[in-house]
Amino acid sequence: MSEVAREVSGGAPGSDTGREPEPPTGGGGWSFRPDLRLIILLGVLVGLCLVGHFTRPDAFFTEGNLSTVLRLAAAIGVVSIGMTFVIITAGIDLSVGSIVALSSVWMTTVATQSYGPAVMVLCALLVGLGCGLVNGMLIAYGKVVPFIATLAMMASARGLAERISGRQTQVVRDTGFLDFFQATMFGIPVLVWMFAAVFAVGWVLLNRTTFGRRTFAVGGNAEAARLAGINVKRHIALVYGIAGLCCGIAAVMVVARASSGAASNGLLYELDAIAAVVIGGTLLSGGRGTLVGTLIGVLIFTVLGNVFTLNNLDTDIQNIAKGAIIVLAVLLQYRSSRGHQSQSSG
Amino acid sequence: MSEPATSAALLEMSDIVKTFPGVRALDGVRLTVAEGEVHCLLGQNGAGKSTLIKVLAGAHQPDSGTISWRGAPVTLGTPIAALRLGVATMYQELDLVRSRSVAENVYLGHEPARFGFASRRRARSGTAELLARLGHPEIDPDREVGTLSAAGQQLVSMARALAYRARLIVMDEPTAALAVDEVSNLFRGIGELTASGVAVIYISHRMAEIREIGDRVTVLKDGATVAANLDARTPSSELVALMSGRRVETAFPSGTRSAAAHTAGEQSDEVLRVSGLGRRGEFADIDFTVRAGEILGLAGLVGAGRSEILETVFGARKPDTGQVFVAGRRIRAGSVPVAVQAGIGLAPEERKGQALQLDMTVAQNVTLASLARYSRFGFTRRRAELLDARSKLTELDLRPADPRRGISTLSGGNQQKAVLARWLVHGCKVLLLDEPTRGVDVAARAELYRLIRDLADSGVALVIVSSELPEVLGLADRVLVLREGQQLAERTASELTEAEVLDMVMEGSAG
Amino acid sequence: MTRVPAHGRRSFLMAGGAVAAGVVLAGCTSNTEPEADNDAVAAGQGDNAEPGKEVTVGFSAPAADHGWMAAMTKNAQAQAEQFSDVTFEATEGSNDVNQQIAQVETLINQKVDVLVILPFDGKALTQVGRRAMDAGIPVVNVDRVFDTPLAYRTWIGGDNYRMGVNAGDYIAAELQRRNVGNPVIGEVAGIDSLPLTRERSNGFRDALQRHGLEVRHRVAAQFTPETGEQQTANLLQAASKLDALWNHDDDQGIGVVSAIENANRDEFFMVGGAGSRDMMDRIKAGNSVVEATVLYSPSMCSSAIALARLLGQAKGLGDLAEHEIPANVTTYSAVVTADNVDEYLDIAFDS
Repeated sequence: MSEVAREVSGGAPGSDTGREPEPPTGGGGWSFRPDLRLIILLGVLVGLCLVGHFTRPDAFFTEGNLSTVLRLAAAIGVVSIGMTFVIITAGIDLSVGSIVALSSVWMTTVATQSYGPAVMVLCALLVGLGCGLVNGMLIAYGKVVPFIATLAMMASARGLAERISGRQTQVVRDTGFLDFFQATMFGIPVLVWMFAAVFAVGWVLLNRTTFGRRTFAVGGNAEAARLAGINVKRHIALVYGIAGLCCGIAAVMVVARASSGAASNGLLYELDAIAAVVIGGTLLSGGRGTLVGTLIGVLIFTVLGNVFTLNNLDTDIQNIAKGAIIVLAVLLQYRSSRGHQSQSSG
Repeated sequence: MSEPATSAALLEMSDIVKTFPGVRALDGVRLTVAEGEVHCLLGQNGAGKSTLIKVLAGAHQPDSGTISWRGAPVTLGTPIAALRLGVATMYQELDLVRSRSVAENVYLGHEPARFGFASRRRARSGTAELLARLGHPEIDPDREVGTLSAAGQQLVSMARALAYRARLIVMDEPTAALAVDEVSNLFRGIGELTASGVAVIYISHRMAEIREIGDRVTVLKDGATVAANLDARTPSSELVALMSGRRVETAFPSGTRSAAAHTAGEQSDEVLRVSGLGRRGEFADIDFTVRAGEILGLAGLVGAGRSEILETVFGARKPDTGQVFVAGRRIRAGSVPVAVQAGIGLAPEERKGQALQLDMTVAQNVTLASLARYSRFGFTRRRAELLDARSKLTELDLRPADPRRGISTLSGGNQQKAVLARWLVHGCKVLLLDEPTRGVDVAARAELYRLIRDLADSGVALVIVSSELPEVLGLADRVLVLREGQQLAERTASELTEAEVLDMVMEGSAG
Repeated sequence: MTRVPAHGRRSFLMAGGAVAAGVVLAGCTSNTEPEADNDAVAAGQGDNAEPGKEVTVGFSAPAADHGWMAAMTKNAQAQAEQFSDVTFEATEGSNDVNQQIAQVETLINQKVDVLVILPFDGKALTQVGRRAMDAGIPVVNVDRVFDTPLAYRTWIGGDNYRMGVNAGDYIAAELQRRNVGNPVIGEVAGIDSLPLTRERSNGFRDALQRHGLEVRHRVAAQFTPETGEQQTANLLQAASKLDALWNHDDDQGIGVVSAIENANRDEFFMVGGAGSRDMMDRIKAGNSVVEATVLYSPSMCSSAIALARLLGQAKGLGDLAEHEIPANVTTYSAVVTADNVDEYLDIAFDS
């Protein structure tokens, strides 16, 4: 009816007439309510860990292995946190992997490295944020659908990364950078602390601030949010900026892990992140989502890779298992959410 | 009174029970529909009408009870099975594919085919014929459905039901989005249908319509049939009493307007002034003022530009000409945040699509427009939010007054109260109400009317748009009459009669 | 409207900040390495060193999307510049098979004297190689081999199976020298779906088998440092003790080494693959687990240009009895260790 009704985010808010009402899970719940879907997901994670434990009792539950798993989960985890915000607004960001690549390359050029670690980190964060804001502006003000806008960024950011790096691996010469980010604090790797910090900030932002509330509102019903006086366009631009910033942080982590920046970094991160967010229970149609679910989703995939390697199994079997887990988790959650439906509209 | 059932029962439902976890939605429903009759189904929201419709459409399976079709027991296992049998359903919220053409929608799922190929020509001519039967030959079968008005889309939905050669058509509030002239068109169409033996189950909250076209009435309450096969001319008060279990004085709030408030309105300050407002192709030269404590009604047919004017005042549409002043200060046009900041609130026409966050709680919906106030250093002040929401819910008598409940579990009337609460919490000076009682049952309507009047009495300036003329005339202090985007007259409501307004809005139109 | 609204000033400041950040960032894209780069180039031998007939060499390769492939293209370019009698016609690298076919067709239409083709996919470019040969243009097929010998005049490339064999033999000999009983051997492979990865792994397995050894832990990375680090980090957890590790590819090797250093492991020795400058530097320095690397050197692309020139001038290889250039040249995957690393530094490539 209203000409401006669905100009942003392409969704059709509130038009799913066939759906029975169910208790709201998004919107930043008022109190902690154990969510059956999260419990199922946690069960999958615990199950995987038990498989790891029983197949390699000597290797799985060791300090070294657990901190390796968390360290490997850090970069894709931070990217998935940004992705969760984007998907809650009913958007999608296909460019995360490319932004990680570009940030990792930009922060490791000879020129950037000459300024020292602080500038390297700042550079990665600014490049990530900048790319994210460009995505957001295109989507919110340019009215390009998120899929296309971020697809374009996905292509051009990686292209720019290849151009800057000359397609060569840029080794980090600055030992100060590596010493700091490869170190441990209280026995836990610095990267894991960073991951925990980003998660905590993200959780508070999503569930305890008005910014988070607006994020759910924009994704749940963009038109209703607009007619409640929320600046929907600016909000969408900011959310993609957050996703980009997360990519910049992830780039720092990737560079610290691989001691190098390369245009090939972050390959297929977009798919891994979307998979983690979706099995975490965030709806692709927007308006609902949890960061805890995303965290468990990321851990499931990282533990899966670890357990397979511990048992010396081939990558092809690992990919089959990954696909099966995605389908299984989504089916289980779907069934449990249907079981939850109780009220009927009269 | 009730005529003997001469014609054979087309549909007979008895002792239908349907439970959802925790809720007994249908608890022994009886319904008998004869061929060629208009059978009206009455009941408050929550009485089980929607569930009953879904059972008839094959979307829900009853737990127990029997359904007979022309005397033989049947099961309506799937929506397709129901359609094959001859039961077509027109839902309240239309299930049309907005991006496809009228003809494609009418024949969606049973496209006329020749040698396995869909015949677009036959679909077009068939659609044109059906639309002509409904009295709307001007709708182009090739037009994209999304570009039609709400009324136009309703007609497409009707044409689709006709295209299924249905023997029984279930219509859920078909006139809710229609203007007066279109209602009569619909009724003509229904008359033709019943003449050819098709039965109609007709659901509406408008008593006058039931009297006009209904043959018999079945009343539901709390999932059970409380009265079956009443004569459609049964007095409204009697029917309303059956529905609610208590007597409701009248559906329309004649006399709610207090003389004191009315006279106070004349002297009080001007809150909203609109001058020379226009948008190309929608409306032009709209001038009006609303004082504190005053209700201004906009009367006109669907398409006269009523909703568009409200949305433009609210900044959701950018005007081509004209200005909007709030409390004497001009506000920048075309920006919702600016309008909200200035103290304007809008309860939009489509509650689900434009107002509610269905995944959120009542409290979260109530504070949506005032988030800045419930924020300390960016953090949500959840306790204050909850307290304020609860006090507003109590004030508006929203039931249940639990701010943590999911808003999707509320009835239409209570959802509308939550939308009002949103703007009360915000503390707005001007409230724009677009179809405030759509989808709200009779008892809740009276309550809403009282609420709206209370709001005005507390000093809020209100502008109200409704498709029901008695509602506009009964509620408003002054009425602005619109036709095709033109402002025809501005009068005191008490000086106007329904007939006068109808005369003005329909004059010259091809009604 | 004389007053500047607060939000206007704020956005002005923000815009200014964004522009400043952009300027600073733009300065950070410079990548001039302080060290001089030396490319693997061959000088002609004997008569072949003398300038001869002018030869136009057309060159087509996939996109230089990783260090090794970038070195292939760079080497070809550098080798062509070395000869005053060679005109070098290169096309933009592409991983789109159809685009590469179109590029080769363009070169055929330009009537270059000799074509050097490094196909993205040997099978898919066989037909266009055949067309060039039929048009009388000799084709030098580099590394990824065409389906039929009729599509090339000369093929030059590496031997993936032999690469694995040499890595296995070296590791077996080293372990024996160190007297390690029942050794634990790990393998970090490249992209598992590529035939070259399977050939390398088969060669490695066969060689170890001959010495009565086996691969105990195997992971597959994606030829990138990041995935090399990820897979190796997991592998090191799977094997609490290792004796030897072979990494297929030195591009991903930077990540492999990073993971090893991160885990503070040094009880084993590591052998690389391909021969990057980074790995050779580590071998030479002798302060890391990297003790050797098995060549699969992009210097073959330099040789391909040299062969193309000789084909164009109808000359043979000096030391051979044959008057003609051989139809097949397989480069040898030598093992570079601390003993011989200085001899090989000239063909090391920047990963």
